[in-house]
Amino acid sequence: QDGRYENITGQKELTERDLAPVMANMREHLIKKNVAADIASHLCDSITKNLVGQKLGSFRSVHSAVKLSMEASLTKILTPKTSVDLLRDIAQAQSESRPYSICFIGVNGVGKSTNLSKTCFWLLQNNLRVLIAACDTFRSGAVEQLRVHVRNLNMLGQGKGVELYERGYGKDAAGIAKDAISYAKANRFDVVLIDTAGRMQDNEPLMRALAKLVTVNDPDKIIFVGEALVGNEAVDQLTKFNQALKDFSGLQSPRQIDGIILTKFDTIDDKVGAALSMTYTTGQPILFVGTGQTYTDLKNMKIGHVVQSLIKG
Amino acid sequence: MVLADLGRRINSALAQINKEPVIDEKVLEALLKEIVYALMESDVNVRLVGSLRENVRKAVNIQELPAGINKRKLIQKTVFDELCKLVDPGVEPYKPKKGKTNIIMFVGLQGSGKTTTCTKLAYHYQRKGWKTCLVCADTFRAGAFDQLKQNATKAKIPYYGSYTETDPVQIAHEGVEKFKKESFEIIIVDTSGRHKQEAELFEEMKQISAVVNPDNTIFVMDATIGQAAELQAKAFHEAADIGSIIITKMDGHARGGGAISAVAATRSPIVFIGTGEHIHDLERFSARPFVSKMLGMGDISGLMET
Ligand SMILES: Nc1nc2c(ncn2[C@@H]2O[C@H](COP(=O)(O)OP(=O)(O)OP(=O)(O)O)[C@@H](O)[C@H]2O)c(=O)[nH]1
Ligand SMILES: Nc1nc2c(ncn2[C@@H]2O[C@H](COP(=O)(O)OP(=O)(O)OP(=O)(O)O)[C@@H](O)[C@H]2O)c(=O)[nH]1
Ligand SMILES: [Mg+2]
Ligand SMILES: [Mg+2]
Repeated sequence: QDGRYENITGQKELTERDLAPVMANMREHLIKKNVAADIASHLCDSITKNLVGQKLGSFRSVHSAVKLSMEASLTKILTPKTSVDLLRDIAQAQSESRPYSICFIGVNGVGKSTNLSKTCFWLLQNNLRVLIAACDTFRSGAVEQLRVHVRNLNMLGQGKGVELYERGYGKDAAGIAKDAISYAKANRFDVVLIDTAGRMQDNEPLMRALAKLVTVNDPDKIIFVGEALVGNEAVDQLTKFNQALKDFSGLQSPRQIDGIILTKFDTIDDKVGAALSMTYTTGQPILFVGTGQTYTDLKNMKIGHVVQSLIKG
Repeated sequence: MVLADLGRRINSALAQINKEPVIDEKVLEALLKEIVYALMESDVNVRLVGSLRENVRKAVNIQELPAGINKRKLIQKTVFDELCKLVDPGVEPYKPKKGKTNIIMFVGLQGSGKTTTCTKLAYHYQRKGWKTCLVCADTFRAGAFDQLKQNATKAKIPYYGSYTETDPVQIAHEGVEKFKKESFEIIIVDTSGRHKQEAELFEEMKQISAVVNPDNTIFVMDATIGQAAELQAKAFHEAADIGSIIITKMDGHARGGGAISAVAATRSPIVFIGTGEHIHDLERFSARPFVSKMLGMGDISGLMET
């Protein structure tokens, strides 16, 4: 396939020079697929390191050796290292007679509220009783948005129903979340879904407020909602959200992001690089991908598909 | 702030060539490598970056340059011009006319900031004395009308929308007709978020555009968008004849390089940038001053005269 490299025989050990041009192409290829540039570089460097000194052996070309090694690396990065079985965790909380709480965080407009609602639909389908806490008390229409979702979801008649816990606008989000969790406990809800306002990772006052919400309520799961459209910024978002949770918590062992929902996966064709950037940056799993604007558009990510989309030309 | 990081890197790459004793192809390639990397890190479309690299190579053909020409200045100026080309389509932005009805329609991907920016823009014109109003033609997103209504109410801008009508084409038509009759000068129409992969949503946009008959269609892009930007922008342009671009969320760390690819894809100028969630957070944008500023005007002003 790659004629330029045919002169390297199977017995010769690969050198950095053999690999350099292939890796340069690979790097640009990954960037085209919307992998953050730094991560593409790191990945290519580590694959070069692995391959230098190895014999080409049965590989037809340097190119195919690189491709295989890249496939393995990508699969490893994308494969969850922790449990992604939310239902099991919820069952555990049920057995302790307490509601399981999930907090949705992220920058503006990525799909927190919508994918919270989709998650709610899925929980209802699993016969759970859900309370949604409207803790975005800032953005216009945020409360009404959730009210519409709650009404729609109840009309679908799934499971044990969902209720909205809201205190309007301008109030302290951490306090509302706390009250919602108490309310849920008193009224035997299985799950509390906490919607938060979108915020820029550099906005210190807003990041402090988020850290406070997390510290005060210690939710069972902190889900970062990120959109598949995001480019290099994915790295900065995740790093700084985690950093803020750490720096502003005042705790010895602060909470961190536990998992990711990757939204707008239906808008990017094969440019799936954000999936890699986000898992690489956090080491946390992608719990769901959002694939549209209706309640059923919440799917498990197919790691094999993502790897193939990243690799293919 | 905005693109400052990118500017700093390109600038230091450019400054580096002042330190080189001889300017040869090797120096040029090293410079290009650095610039290309900085641009890709800022999400500028890979294809556009590639053609920027080619254009600089062609314009600065080191082997064939006559003796005596200042190679450093030539390289620096070429890079500056190429960067300008990225953000400047060379088209005059649409200007609304006083005493006439000017209809502006907002379109863009989901969550890009359309509804927020609609009110910001309406407020901007209102403050300058234009008779301005808003039409909510988003019947899809939960709470969309409430969002626009609350924003408009805060800014004291008349608005039109409905909780019961589900057809955005109908609402857009009604709203625009009503405000036209009342001789509003600026009518801004907000629409739902959509994406090229859903043909029906694009069809709806075309229908809204057909009844609204906008004087200008503004494409709203989020500064954090990566490599998917170009194809989306192209598709929006083909379906809705984009006239201007607004890039939002420039108050964050994002460098906006992905969104910039919409300039080439739509041949339309960036007219404003959004720099926050509040109604005042809207800044005018013009390309060349922006690039100068990005590269640190002090350093670049000298070579603009060459
Ligand atoms: N195509 C597509 N659109 C989505 C997806 N998830 C959410 N959206 C859309 O993205 C837009 C923004 O969604 P929201 O849920 O309001 O986003 P948010 O993060 O809560 O926004 P803020 O609270 O304002 O920060 C809406 O138009 C959603 O319908 C998805 O998976 N695919
Ligand atoms: N920080 C910041 N946030 C912004 C800016 N512009 C919009 N936002 C926020 O981005 C989120 C989405 O904005 P919307 O105006 O709802 O976006 P939209 O394009 O109308 O969304 P859909 O109608 O769902 O497609 C909200 O949280 C806004 O407050 C900006 O310039 N800076
Ligand atoms: Mg929200
Ligand atoms: Mg909107």
